Amino acid sequence: MNADRRASACFLISAIAAVALGVVYARGGQAQAEGLLLAVTSGGIGAGIVVWAKASTPHDEVTEARHPLASSEAEVAAFTEALAAGERALVEGKGRRGVLLSAGAALTAFGAALLFPIRSLGPRPGRDLKETPYGDSLPVRVVTEDGRPVRVDDLPVDSLLTVWPEGHVDAADAPTLLIRTRPDRDLRVEDGAGVVDGVVAYSKLCTHMGCPVGLYQAEEGLLLCPCHQSTFDVYDAANPVFGPAARPLPQLPLATDDDGYLVATADFMEPVGPGFWDRGR
Amino acid sequence: MLTRRLARFVDERLGTAGFARTALNKVFPDHWSFMIGELALYCFVILLLTGTYLTFFFDPSQNEVVYQGSYAPLQGVEMTAAYASALDLSFDVRAGLVMRQIHHWAALLFLAAIVVHLARVFFTGGFRRPRELNWVIGVTLLVLAIFNGFAGYSLLDDQLSGTGLRIAYSITLSIPLAGTWLASLLFGGEFPGPDIISRLYVIHILLIPAAIVVLLTAHLAIVVRQKHTQFDGPGREEDNVVGERLWPTYALKAVGLFFLTGSVLSFLGGVFQINPVWIYGPFDPAEVSAASQPDWYMGWLDGAARIMPNWEIRAFGFEVPNPFFPAVLLAGVTFGLLYAWPFLEARVTGDDAPHHILDRPRQRPVRTALGVATLGFYGVCFLAGAADVISVTFGLSVNAVLWSFRILLFALPPLASWATYKLCQELCRRDGVPTREPVKFRQILPRLRHGAAPPPAAPATPAD
Amino acid sequence: MRVAPAVALVALAGAAVVLVPPPAAAGGDPEAEGERLYLEGCSSCHGEDGGGAEDDAGNLRGPPVADSGEAAAFYYLSTGRMPLANSEEQPRRKDPAYDEEQIAALVAYVASLGDGPTLPEVDVAAADLVRGGELFRENCQACHSASGSGGALSYGRAAPPLAPARPDETAAAIRVGPGQMPVFGEEALSAAEVADVVRYVEYLDAPADPGGLPIGRLGPIPEGFVGWFLGVPLLLGATYWIGTRSPVRRRKGSL
Repeated sequence: MNADRRASACFLISAIAAVALGVVYARGGQAQAEGLLLAVTSGGIGAGIVVWAKASTPHDEVTEARHPLASSEAEVAAFTEALAAGERALVEGKGRRGVLLSAGAALTAFGAALLFPIRSLGPRPGRDLKETPYGDSLPVRVVTEDGRPVRVDDLPVDSLLTVWPEGHVDAADAPTLLIRTRPDRDLRVEDGAGVVDGVVAYSKLCTHMGCPVGLYQAEEGLLLCPCHQSTFDVYDAANPVFGPAARPLPQLPLATDDDGYLVATADFMEPVGPGFWDRGR
Repeated sequence: MLTRRLARFVDERLGTAGFARTALNKVFPDHWSFMIGELALYCFVILLLTGTYLTFFFDPSQNEVVYQGSYAPLQGVEMTAAYASALDLSFDVRAGLVMRQIHHWAALLFLAAIVVHLARVFFTGGFRRPRELNWVIGVTLLVLAIFNGFAGYSLLDDQLSGTGLRIAYSITLSIPLAGTWLASLLFGGEFPGPDIISRLYVIHILLIPAAIVVLLTAHLAIVVRQKHTQFDGPGREEDNVVGERLWPTYALKAVGLFFLTGSVLSFLGGVFQINPVWIYGPFDPAEVSAASQPDWYMGWLDGAARIMPNWEIRAFGFEVPNPFFPAVLLAGVTFGLLYAWPFLEARVTGDDAPHHILDRPRQRPVRTALGVATLGFYGVCFLAGAADVISVTFGLSVNAVLWSFRILLFALPPLASWATYKLCQELCRRDGVPTREPVKFRQILPRLRHGAAPPPAAPATPAD
Repeated sequence: MRVAPAVALVALAGAAVVLVPPPAAAGGDPEAEGERLYLEGCSSCHGEDGGGAEDDAGNLRGPPVADSGEAAAFYYLSTGRMPLANSEEQPRRKDPAYDEEQIAALVAYVASLGDGPTLPEVDVAAADLVRGGELFRENCQACHSASGSGGALSYGRAAPPLAPARPDETAAAIRVGPGQMPVFGEEALSAAEVADVVRYVEYLDAPADPGGLPIGRLGPIPEGFVGWFLGVPLLLGATYWIGTRSPVRRRKGSL
C-alpha cells in the first residue's frame, strides 16, 4: 500500500471513529468508549497527516543565513541618544528637581494605596491560631461527631474516638483524640491531672503540617500521621518519635462532670497544629 | 482560487504578503527532540479546551448542599457545591468524566513535557547566550504550570484535595514574619476559611492561564526571532540554520503532532481512571486517608518534607517551623538555581560568547554530570513522597524506607555524577572526539573569585 | 380469622427448630470438642486456662485469651492469623487451619473461658451504605485508605487490605481491634453502624470504576507512574516518529 493510500486509510478510520463517538454519546455515553474513540479520531488525523507529510513534503535541506541579532553600533547610539534627549528635556532646568521628587512621591503613594484593598482579603491573624473553641466556655463537654457526650465506661481499653467541644463539631482546629490507654502501662503526660481513668486527650492535628493524626497503633501506643509519617508516642506525652514533626501533640486536660460525662477543663495546653512565626508569644 | 482572493484581500488592507512569504519559508532545524517543547504546548491547548468544557459544569462554591446525584454511596451526604458538581461531572454529565480525566492526564503530561523539554535544553546547552531570556521565561512557565496544577487539584474539595490545601496552608504559615498574614489573606481566615475554593478557581482558570498564554507567546516569538539552535553536522555553522521549511513540511509535522498528542491524552483519559474523587469522599478537616499524596510534580516537595529531620528554630518566642526548610527554602533554592543557571555557567566557564550550535551532552561532562546529579536528587525526593505506598507495596518498614532515602539523597547525586562524568569521557574517547569542556576544574575557583576574565594559563602544579 | 396467628406461631416454632445448629457430629458437645482442639493447638502459647504462657526465659509466648471472647477467637481463626507456627512471627492472613465446624467449636470454648466481646450480628443487606461510607471515612480510612487497599504504619507494621475480609470477619475485627488496630466499642460504632461499615467495606471490594482501569486506587503515585512510564514514552514515540525521516522515502526520493 503506498503512502497516499495509508494516509487516506488513517483519515477514514478517524472519520468512522468520530461517527461511532457520536453514536456512543447519543446512547448515553460511556467513558472508556468515548476516550478510546476520541483517541482513534484524533490519532487517525494525526497519523494520516504524518504519513502524508513524510511521503509528499520536500525533505531537502534548506540553509538559511543567521544574521547577528545585535543592532549596529550606530543604531544603538542613535537610540540611546534619542532616549537621552527626551530625558534631558524632562529633567534639565530650574525647579525640575521638585517636579521629579513630587512625581516620584505620588507614584509611590499610589502604589501603596493600591495595596490597601489586599487587606480586605482576610482578617488579622491575631489569636485565632492560638485558641480553639474549647476555651469559649469552660468546662465544656466533649462530644462525638453526631453530638453525643462521652462517658469513660463507653471507651474500651485501646479504643480511640474523635471528639469536639460541644456545639463546635465543625471547628477545624478542635478535633481531639480520646484514647483509653492500657492500665498496665506507664502513662507520662504533661498534665497528669487531666487524665481520667486512663483516658487521655490530644489534639488530632499534626504539629508538622496539620494533617489529622488518625492512625493509632494500639499495641505500641503510637499515633502516625499519614501525610509525612510523623509518629507520636501516646504513652509519652505524645512526643514525636519519628518524622519531621518537632513538637508533641498538645494535650487537652479532662475531667468528668456531675453526670459522669467527660469534659475539658481548659483549652489545649499549646496552640494546635502547624508552627508559625509568633506561636510562642 | 479562494486562497488567492483571501490573500489579496488581507494584503490590500494590511500589507502582509511579504512578511507571510518569509514566514512560510522559515527554516526549522531538523531533530526530533526539538519538538518536545511543542508537546507541552499541545498539552496546554488540550488543557484549555477540556478545561473550558469543565467550567460550564463546575461550581466553585463552598456552600453546603445535599448530594442527590446518581452515585449511590454518597446520596444524601452533605458536601460543598464544588464537590457535588465534581461528582455530577463524573456521573451525570454525559462525556463529563472523560473530559475530566483527559484534563487531569493532560495536566500531568503538560508538566512532564515541560520537564523533559527543560532537560533537553539544559543538557544540550540551549540556554546559553543569546537564549538566557528565553530560559528565564521557560522556568517561569514551569513554576506557573506547577502552581496551576496544584490549584486545579485543590478545587474539587474532596478529602485528598482538602488535605493538600491544608498542607499548602501550613507551608504558607511557616514563612517567617509574613506567614500568618499571608495565610489569612490567601484563605480568608483560619484554615479552611470561607473563600479558598472560589479564589483558587479564579487563579486556576483565569490568572495563571492568562499569564501562561502571554509568556508562551513571548517564548515562541523569541524562538522565531533568534532562530532555533541546531546540532553540529555537515554544513551546519554558527551563522546559518539548516533544516526544513515551515511550509509545508514543518507545519504538517506540527499539526500531526498536535493530533497525536490529543490521541495519547484521550487514550489515557478513557482507559486509566484518574483521581476518583467519589472514593475519597467530601473534605472533612478531621479526616484523612492513608496514602495521601500530591500529583507527581509536587511529589518532590512532599518527599522532601517527609525526609526532613525534625528541626525547628525557636528563639525569643519566635520560630521558624519545620515546613519552611523543605517546602519554602528548598523550593526557593531550586528555582533560584534554575533561573540563575545560564548566568552561573557563563561566569564559571568564562564562556560568554553566543552559541547557536548545541553541545552533545557527552562533550560537556561536567554540566551533564551536574544535571544528572540534580535529577537524581529530585528523583529521590519524589520517591520519598511515595514512601508509604512503596513500603506497603513491597512489605517494607516505612521508617526504613524513609531512612534509606535520607541516605540516598546525599549518596546518589555524587555517585550518579561521577558515573556520568566517566561515561561521557568514555563515549567521547570511543567517538574519537575531544570533550569540549571550556574550563578545567582547578580554574573554576580563581575565576569565581575574580569574576569574568580567565586567569593567566599558568599550569597549576598537580595537587598530589 | 383466629387461625392465622396460630399458623404463624407454628411456622415460627418450626423456623426456630431449623435455626438451632445441629450438634457437632464427632464430639457431640461443641464446647468439649473446642477444648480438645484448644489444648492441642493453642494452649502451648495461650496457656491451658487461657491465661497466656511464658517460655523458659520468662517471655510471654502468647497473650492471655480468656477474656478475648467470641469475636477475637473467630477473627483470628477464620482469617488464618492463628495458629502461628512460631510465636515470633507476625500474624498474617492465610488459609484457615481449621474447618468451619472446628472454628465454631473453638470459638465456643474460648468464649466459655471468660468475658469478652461477642460476635456482632451483621445484616449486610439491611445496612445503610451511605452511612457506612461516612463512618468508614471517619474511622477506617486513616489506616486502611479511602479505597480499603491498606496502608503503611510505623516500624514495619501495615494495615491490611480489606478486600479479602468476609463481612463477619470485618465486623469481628471492629469490635476486637486485633493486633495494632484500635478497639471500636459501642460508643464509637453501634451494632447497626458496624453493619453499615461492613456494607461499605463490601462495596469497596468491587467499587464502581467508571473511569476505567483503577491502577490500584492508590491515588496520585500510580497515576504519576502511568504518566511517566506510559504517557511520556507514547508522546516521545510520536515525536520521534514525526521527527525522523523514513528510510523508505529516501530511497523513493532518489529514484
